[in-house]
Amino acid sequence: MPSIVETRNLYKSFGSFKAVNGLSFSIEKGDVYGFLGQNGAGKSTTMRMIMGLIFPDSGEIFINGETFNNSKRHLLKNIGAVIERPDMYGYLSGWDNLRIFAALSDKNITKARLHEVLEVVGLTGREKDKVKAYSQGMKQRLGIAIALVHQPDLLVLDEPTNGLDPQGIAEMRQLINRLSGDLGKTVMVSSHLLHEIEQVATGMLVIHKGKKIVSGKVKDLLNPDETLVSVAVTNDTHFVEKLNQSQWGKMMERTTSGSATFKMNPSVIPDLNKWLVEHDFRVKEIKSEHSLEAYFLSLTHDTDTQN
Amino acid sequence: MMSIKAGLQILFLSILAPLTVKADTGTDLFYALRKKALLVKDYTADVNMQIDVSYMKIPKLKGTMYFKSPDKLRLERHGGISLLPKKNVNLTISNLMPAGNVLVIDIGNVEKDGKKLHVLKVVPDDDQNNIVLAKLWVDEANLVAVRAETTTRNDGTIIMDLTFGKYINWGLPDKVALLVDLKDYKLPKGFTLDYETNPGAKPDAQAEKAAKASKGQKGTIKINYLKYDVNTGLSDEKFK
Amino acid sequence: MIQILRIEIYKIFKRPRTYISFGIVLAITLVIQLALFSDGKEFLGFFMQGINEQFDVQGNILNGYLVAYVILHSLLMQIPLLVALVAGDSLAGEANLGTLRLLLTKPISRTKLVLMKFLSSFIYTLILIIWLAIVALFVSMLLFGTGDMINIKSDSFVVILQNDVMWRYLLAFCFATLAMTTIASLSLLLSAFADNAIGPIISTMGIVVVMTILCNLQLPVFNHIIPYLFTPHMVGWKGFFDDPIPYAAIGRSAITLAAYTIVFLAATIYYFNKKDIKS
Repeated sequence: MPSIVETRNLYKSFGSFKAVNGLSFSIEKGDVYGFLGQNGAGKSTTMRMIMGLIFPDSGEIFINGETFNNSKRHLLKNIGAVIERPDMYGYLSGWDNLRIFAALSDKNITKARLHEVLEVVGLTGREKDKVKAYSQGMKQRLGIAIALVHQPDLLVLDEPTNGLDPQGIAEMRQLINRLSGDLGKTVMVSSHLLHEIEQVATGMLVIHKGKKIVSGKVKDLLNPDETLVSVAVTNDTHFVEKLNQSQWGKMMERTTSGSATFKMNPSVIPDLNKWLVEHDFRVKEIKSEHSLEAYFLSLTHDTDTQN
Repeated sequence: MMSIKAGLQILFLSILAPLTVKADTGTDLFYALRKKALLVKDYTADVNMQIDVSYMKIPKLKGTMYFKSPDKLRLERHGGISLLPKKNVNLTISNLMPAGNVLVIDIGNVEKDGKKLHVLKVVPDDDQNNIVLAKLWVDEANLVAVRAETTTRNDGTIIMDLTFGKYINWGLPDKVALLVDLKDYKLPKGFTLDYETNPGAKPDAQAEKAAKASKGQKGTIKINYLKYDVNTGLSDEKFK
Repeated sequence: MIQILRIEIYKIFKRPRTYISFGIVLAITLVIQLALFSDGKEFLGFFMQGINEQFDVQGNILNGYLVAYVILHSLLMQIPLLVALVAGDSLAGEANLGTLRLLLTKPISRTKLVLMKFLSSFIYTLILIIWLAIVALFVSMLLFGTGDMINIKSDSFVVILQNDVMWRYLLAFCFATLAMTTIASLSLLLSAFADNAIGPIISTMGIVVVMTILCNLQLPVFNHIIPYLFTPHMVGWKGFFDDPIPYAAIGRSAITLAAYTIVFLAATIYYFNKKDIKS
């Protein structure tokens, strides 16, 4: 079965800035594909290239196995997208906005379908209001309604939780889960927050400075066995030695005089703690963190220090 | 002294004698002509008028011409605009013949278009009169002037040709052609913002062409009188 | 195609801003009508002094036809602005709103979108000209009556009989629509380059003003370029009020304007198909 979206060696520069630098990935049907990266990492540029808003300098994009370019815009028929802010015609009602964009989707869309999709995003009853009176969350939901109205197979959502309050974020998460679960859509969603991706995505790709850092299934990438557990003790005499001789030694990643970091499943932390106490180490702190998160944070740190 | 003076007088008279006799005929003719013109107290006429001046582009104007003696004239255009040469270049023959006492000089007969015409030169006594000199070509048989060449103080020379038909007994023409002197016409381009049919052409050439077209002009005004109603007693109201 | 056009027109006429243009046309027209109603005699006297010296002109000279001509002449600079207001906004305004992003994720070709933006701007222009015809011509005819129309040119004085006027106005308004369509296509091109509408609107006006000044300066240096600029051709509608009508010159002007329109439109399509939407 062909990928619903595939990119091969995508490059895009704006002046001397390399926004996307040789990016290849593929999204399978039914995936909720998380696109994780810092602001400016190239997520939005990539999504815009998939949607035909920006043209790649080189590389290829395939939609449903077909090469996509400006002369093949009909392939967009099966994609719905919200790219960056959900901007609409503020002087028109939500209904008019929905109707207009539905009419441009090259499919016959009934009034009933418009009502249905408003129901899905929870805007029923507010559709007659002018969009300029909408909250950010309502605009975001209207944006998704527009992306959804023509029943595309793939939804491309660029930072859908941006500007939302915690409740809005939770609702968005439920909505994405519903789109993928109940409606069987393939979803490509970007975020700069790992835990957002973690909660909705089945597959993911981490992008940094336009390059792919890591990609794969979330359950593999966020495998609990890959959790980094760091321990700090106050009495460090023979601490490292004793650990090395124990069953914990092979899980050890790095050590300093009074601390050690292990890669392990968090379920064994009580056993580790018990062992430490039994060997008369005074435990000051046990901290667990997923390796991907740690890695991602280190990227953030890099960017921050650069800034 | 006396004899010289008398001699000169005789000589002068003997030279003038034939002229004076002739002049009397001319004078009579002029006064007869003027008297006939005065028969028409007023008229209403259907006309069409063609103004032929290089800087004026005016289609044939149809209308009704009202005249009341001695000098009231009005063109009624039934809602349209009326355009007549200024009052002092009047269109009626009576106004091209000076009023009051005049000196008439009889030039004699000429042949024109197979017609014998009597030519008169008329000089008004009143030197305030706008008319300095009028030269009339008179069809004696019908007692009408068929051409008048009038030199005016302020309006240059006006030449008027008249063609007669049905209304000859009233001395009213069927056709009048008027040749008048005109001043230059030119408005600054900035005011009118014309459409340039040839944008970018040398302004000199354009200006030259325009200057040539409007310098020291002569214009013709032709009026066809189709039907007259004479002496219906027009009130002055008509001319306001 | 029709669907996109309908949507574009719907968007234009759903916006309050669009009606400001119609309001401006009405306001300017009423002001000129009022001015001519009170001071028309002096105004005419000034322009007709050359004629009045030698001719006695009477009748309803300052009639609706002449007033409409004066209004059209005065709106020479304003109408392009009103056209640019909509056409200059058509792409750049959507970029500014952010809706261009959403619009272009739809399976419609960019070429079609540009064509429909152009057509909708054209329809707006046409309606604006029709509105102008109503308020400038028909309202003036009601206020000032009708009669023979005079046209005062710098080197001639034209009289047009009243039953000979209306068809000239019809052709003049058609020509004005063409001229304004050229402006619309220029604005649309500038609109494709910009991400907010102010730039294209001001640039359009700038180009029109600079070209007009170049032509009016009549400097010999520029004489070779002037026939190729489009602004001198924009007043071609005035040709219909001349006698005889300079059809050849009007035809040349119309072809020049049409050629500019096509070039501007083609350039818009070419550029817009290559443009990265970053807004």
